[in-house]
Amino acid sequence: MTSSVTREPSIVASAAAPGTPARRRRTRRRRLTGWSVLLWVAPALAVYGAFVLYPLVETFEYSFYNWDGIGASSWAGFSNYARVFTQPALYTSIVNSFVLIIFFSLIPVCLGLLSAVLIREIRGQRAGGLVRTLLFLPQVIPLAGAGIAWTWMYSPNGVVNQLLGAVGLGAEQHAWLADFSTALPAVGIIGTWVTTGFCTVLLLVGIAKIDPSLYEAARIDGAGRWREFVAITLPDLRRELVVCVTVTVIAALASFDVVYIATQGGPGYQTMVPGLEIYQLTFLQQTVGQASALAVVLVILVLVLILPIQRLGRQR
Amino acid sequence: MLSTPRRLRRSITLALGAGLPIALATVLTACAPGSSGGSSGGSSSSAGTTNVNSKAVTITVEEASIDVPLFQKFASLFHAKYPKITVKVIGQDFNTLQLNVPRILAGSNVPDIIRLGALGNTVADKLVISLNPYAASYGWNSWPQSQFESTRSNAAGTERGSGALYGVGPGFGLTGLYYNKSLLAKIGEKPPATLSQLSADLAKAKSKGILPMVISGPAQTLAFAVQNLQVDYANSVTPVQNWNYDKPGASIDIPSFVQAAKTLQTWAKDGYFESDVNSIQESNAVAEFDSGTGLFYVSGNWDAPAIDKAGPGKFAFIGFPPAKAGGVTDAMSASDLQVIPAKAANPAQAAAFLNFIQTDPAARQASLDMGGYAPGGPSNAAAVTAPAGSAVAGTVAFFNQALASNELTEFMVNATNSISATALVPETEELVSGKVTPDQFASTIQSDYKSELATR
Repeated sequence: MTSSVTREPSIVASAAAPGTPARRRRTRRRRLTGWSVLLWVAPALAVYGAFVLYPLVETFEYSFYNWDGIGASSWAGFSNYARVFTQPALYTSIVNSFVLIIFFSLIPVCLGLLSAVLIREIRGQRAGGLVRTLLFLPQVIPLAGAGIAWTWMYSPNGVVNQLLGAVGLGAEQHAWLADFSTALPAVGIIGTWVTTGFCTVLLLVGIAKIDPSLYEAARIDGAGRWREFVAITLPDLRRELVVCVTVTVIAALASFDVVYIATQGGPGYQTMVPGLEIYQLTFLQQTVGQASALAVVLVILVLVLILPIQRLGRQR
Repeated sequence: MLSTPRRLRRSITLALGAGLPIALATVLTACAPGSSGGSSGGSSSSAGTTNVNSKAVTITVEEASIDVPLFQKFASLFHAKYPKITVKVIGQDFNTLQLNVPRILAGSNVPDIIRLGALGNTVADKLVISLNPYAASYGWNSWPQSQFESTRSNAAGTERGSGALYGVGPGFGLTGLYYNKSLLAKIGEKPPATLSQLSADLAKAKSKGILPMVISGPAQTLAFAVQNLQVDYANSVTPVQNWNYDKPGASIDIPSFVQAAKTLQTWAKDGYFESDVNSIQESNAVAEFDSGTGLFYVSGNWDAPAIDKAGPGKFAFIGFPPAKAGGVTDAMSASDLQVIPAKAANPAQAAAFLNFIQTDPAARQASLDMGGYAPGGPSNAAAVTAPAGSAVAGTVAFFNQALASNELTEFMVNATNSISATALVPETEELVSGKVTPDQFASTIQSDYKSELATR
């Protein structure tokens, strides 16, 4: 749509002489076209402005105040931002969320890629549909419910420890969510379980769009499976991969529900993440300014990570 | 000359480039968020009146869902005595209610009474009224006063324990020690009367393959135990009470608290707690104790009715034993806090209801039977009854003893809005896992406390 709008005036301009009635008519039409663009996007822009931009500006504003959310506020300058980087509890939460990227993004994207390629191989068979459904199932389960189920599975008498015991690994049994060394990876695995299905389905759609003749040609040229994967599948899935990475990295950095249900940030501060910290600062501590500063830092972090990935997706 | 779309783009860019910073600067400097405070409440000429039966009104009481049946019982008892006043009870999950309280109180649809977890910023923000006029009218000032200490505050809301009264309740939460009678008999011991006896019982249980103590980080009971131990070692409640009430200069980074942390850490190291002490939730902890696992269970009287129901006569409740026989006992308690919002439409009727639930014999008995709360009230109030030898009877006996001697203490977890979530719970979890030393524990709790008070 944008391209047709920008192209049309140049064609019109070259066809009509300046100042002629025809040009004036066309200019008016061009203007209408320009303003009509705004008219068309106005409803979406209004909603976006009211529910995204306005809260964003408000959050930015609050971050410069000491405010409990109800009473009078006082100017805080940059002190709330300074605390984000000097208070161990606050910056530890950011570090933890980066660790979660491995579990929410890196592993699911790799597993999704592997699953998608394998499912493509068994395309048309009933098993393919079944595997696809099973992998996508965690996506339709509310995260709070998933958190509760995994908490039971991780408990000392839960399924995870029972399985370990059954295969003779009784010595490896843990109170997974209570142990300082295993709590964060245990929470991360819940994230892996949730996002792998999403990545698989998205990448499967991408694979389906790849022209089968490319694979045939490659095979005729003597390419093996690995060569096909590296030379055809991976480059053609670039856009889908970018979407997968973008969505899952944001899910890791902004994680809240799974952590809130499973560990509430514990043991100690071991699984504290910015989302939960913001919640506690706002609703328990009633320090809205501090919570807003952490939220702004989180937004900036997400943008710093996501924008280069987006750029990667646009390159040809 | 620019084409229209490019002009449009440039205009938008200019608008964003120049307008946005101007808008942001205006927003940041011109209008600070928040109001300068709500109505002061309680200052009307009718404040303190006990004449509430002159006109028909309906008062709304907003409670935690779990207490809705209890308050509905209160409502019917109250309506029978005050036929012109109807009490409408509404409820929502306790945690959700606590998150919403500031916004409910500041909103336009405000109940006449609301349940709080702690006073928090409600006094500073002038969202609740002082009950002093009603305390004078209804004679609350002649009752044992330690029951009101935790709900008194200065006008700025920065210091509790003294000042105006802002909340009362039908009864009190109270912590202590539950024990399994048959397991105690199995190790051949009587209920511990001193801390050294308790330590010996724990060791004995461990040696006989019995889980010595059901306790939990997330359920805050590790934090309860460290406070109990601190009072034992200090043989005084003054340091912790000053700290709980945010008195100027109060500190918990003191030898008795370090010693308490050391004992708790040693107990953990000796294997007296479960391996999932840092993840077990309150509901699972009580279910475990009910099922016969564990000699002792650190918790409060709110669990007593369910524990008695799960094993009638099998369990009992005592206060956390003092360091030496006859020493100071930590009767950690908090009112089931009810306040009257500054915007309440019928404060006088609400106060009459609050007086009724503290004094009416049937209401007091209902508090105990349905909520597990130990009723406070006047010293000559009708005694509540519980089956002899039950856990509930133990909670009532311990509470009455502490109330009579004016020895009720506040919870450390209520000292500030979030000291529990941001320091006491995570730090006790680190302590029992050996991640921090007792000295580091005490100094971190104190520094977190100070930095939280500084943000007020």
